[in-house]
Amino acid sequence: MSRSDEETEEQQVWRVLSEAGLVEIRLDEFAKKIEDVKRIVIVRLRELLDFNTSIKERESAAYSLGTLKGLELKLLANAPKPPDPSEM
Amino acid sequence: MKSTAKLLRSEASWPPEEGEIISFRSASGSETTILKEVRWGLVWRDFILEDGRVIPEHRISGCPQPQVWRKINEVTDNEREECEERLLSMAGAGMDPRQRDQPFWAELNQYLAYTYLRYKQAEFKVGDTER
Repeated sequence: MSRSDEETEEQQVWRVLSEAGLVEIRLDEFAKKIEDVKRIVIVRLRELLDFNTSIKERESAAYSLGTLKGLELKLLANAPKPPDPSEM
Repeated sequence: MKSTAKLLRSEASWPPEEGEIISFRSASGSETTILKEVRWGLVWRDFILEDGRVIPEHRISGCPQPQVWRKINEVTDNEREECEERLLSMAGAGMDPRQRDQPFWAELNQYLAYTYLRYKQAEFKVGDTER
C-alpha cells in the first residue's frame, strides 16, 4: 500500500501544502512563495496552451498569473528599504 | 478511518459559535479571546477575533483532526475573482502581508495555497493520464 492510499484526502491536502510551505507562510517568505506559485501556474498554462484545452481554463490561469505578478510588484514596491549607507 | 474522523468531528460540535471564548496559538504563546466570526476562505476556515486578527482553524485549540478543507472545485470563479480583487486592492493600498494574523496576511496565505493546489493537482492529473 502506498503512502497516498493510506492517507485521507484531507491529510493529503495538509501534507502537500505543508511540504510547499504554504500552510502558514513565514513573514520573510511571501515573495519567494509568490514566485513558487507563479512557476506552477506558468507550467500549467503552457500545458493548457499545448493541449488546446478550454478557453475558460486558459483565461483563468492567465488571470491568476496576472494577479500573482501584480501582487509581486506591489509587495516589492512596499518592501521595507534597507538603510542608505550614505546616511549612516 | 475517514468515517470515524467525521463522526468525532460532528460529536465535538465544531466550530465554536460567535461570542464564545476560544484559545489559540499565537507568536507569543497561547492566548484566549472572544470569537467574532468563523469564515470559510478559499481552502480552510478562518477564525476572526474581536480585535480583528484572523487565525487559521488549525491553530485553534480543540480543532478536530483531520482538519476540514474545501475542495478546489467548490470554489466558484466569482469567489476567486473577488478574492483576487481584494488582494490587489489591499496591496495597492500599501498594506503589508508581513503582519502576522492580519487580514492581508490571512487572505494571501489562502490564495497562494488555493492556487498552488489548483494548478499542482491539475499537473498530477495530466501526469497520471500520460502514464
